[in-house]
Amino acid sequence: MHIAINTTDARPIYVQIMDEVRRALVLGALRTEDPLPSVRQLAGDLRLNPNTVAQAYRELEREGVVYVRRGQGTFVADRPASARDRDLIVREVAARALLDAHRHGLSADDLIAAVRQASDASADTPRAAE
Amino acid sequence: MITAPLLRADRGFHAPDFHGEVSGVPAIATDGLTKRYGRETALAGIDLTAPEGGVYLLAGANGAGKSSLLRILLNLIAPTGGTARVLGLDPRRDGPTIRAEVGYVPETHQIGYRWMSVGRLMDHLASYYPRWDQAYADQLARRLEIRPDKKLGTLSKGQARRVQLIAALARRPRLLMLDEPTDGLDPVARDEVMGLVAEHLADTGCTVLVSTHLIYEVERIADHIGVLREGRLLAQLPREDLQRKLRLYRATGPEGWVGPADLTGVMKRASLGREIHWTVWGEERDVAARITDSGGVVRDVAPLTLDDAVVTLMRAPLTGPKDTADQ
Repeated sequence: MHIAINTTDARPIYVQIMDEVRRALVLGALRTEDPLPSVRQLAGDLRLNPNTVAQAYRELEREGVVYVRRGQGTFVADRPASARDRDLIVREVAARALLDAHRHGLSADDLIAAVRQASDASADTPRAAE
Repeated sequence: MITAPLLRADRGFHAPDFHGEVSGVPAIATDGLTKRYGRETALAGIDLTAPEGGVYLLAGANGAGKSSLLRILLNLIAPTGGTARVLGLDPRRDGPTIRAEVGYVPETHQIGYRWMSVGRLMDHLASYYPRWDQAYADQLARRLEIRPDKKLGTLSKGQARRVQLIAALARRPRLLMLDEPTDGLDPVARDEVMGLVAEHLADTGCTVLVSTHLIYEVERIADHIGVLREGRLLAQLPREDLQRKLRLYRATGPEGWVGPADLTGVMKRASLGREIHWTVWGEERDVAARITDSGGVVRDVAPLTLDDAVVTLMRAPLTGPKDTADQ
């Protein structure tokens, strides 16, 4: 699993880690009982403060997304699947797009219309199966 | 983009208080620390608090007093006034104990003993420091590509720095003090070193006080920020507070709109045509409300990178008798 962190993102780094894990779950890159990288490994790889990684893992555990097996590490929990995660991600993507639209002086309606148009235009290019 | 010159410390400006609450048990605490060299004041009353288990970035221009402060904490030089506590000890009384507990990478690249090999130096350190971890020292040497048979006198600046880092980390200290730790290193080694520091933190939970000009390197690791300016600690706060309170606002408004007259904490103002950009110290809700109330539309609010945030603080107009805006 690769986790991408962007320091110019408005989201705190621990939230970005949580979002990346949720994204991997929705995509199926992470499944029930898969291990997450250790705090040490992720902190070392991404040059992060280990406390930040630990905070993200704690929050994910609190939400029931992952669980800790003593002495073995952090694993993806078995739970009624990702409808809620997917929902969360859709809302976040929408919020980001709206913010970007606002930045460019566009309304939500402008954005929706443009997304429809762009989606229709690319209808014949192959898309990922939903 | 046309950037307006920095605001000068004009009469209406009051520098905000850039201090936040530093919680937790302090690994380092200083109280009114001063240092004068003849008539030069290097440190003019420093109250620094670095919490245990945290990574404290000490930022500041050249000559701001960063190295003096670190050297006082190790009792390598004596302060002119004030007190310090390092791991609960007084540097003036317990200097040798503190130096044994602290992994220190000094500003200088000189390691002494030019005739000695890297391996001999490590043996020497192993006998001196009770927690020396030889297996870890060997692993660090491999990762930083340092050969043990190399003579200290023949090391390049970057190689000497790597040896100093190995020496500081392998003693598994409770506190690391790093003075420009990546100075002289090539980009690959710099990246490697930050990874090693992150792993070391995960392994030991030690406290780090790091002074560096390359702020982006510690952007993801530092959790507390102190900014030294003209011998004073201009800012000291958790990184989260800094990135929450110092933000860039972009707003547009009706023809002729110049923004709110009562916007406080403005660190910088620039414009692109009719769009105005403010870097403001304050709570986002208050700042955005003021802009909106004055008839503007806030288009974007974004945190600054740590590098930009620190540079903004280092250039902030200061209130006071003389105009000391930027340097």
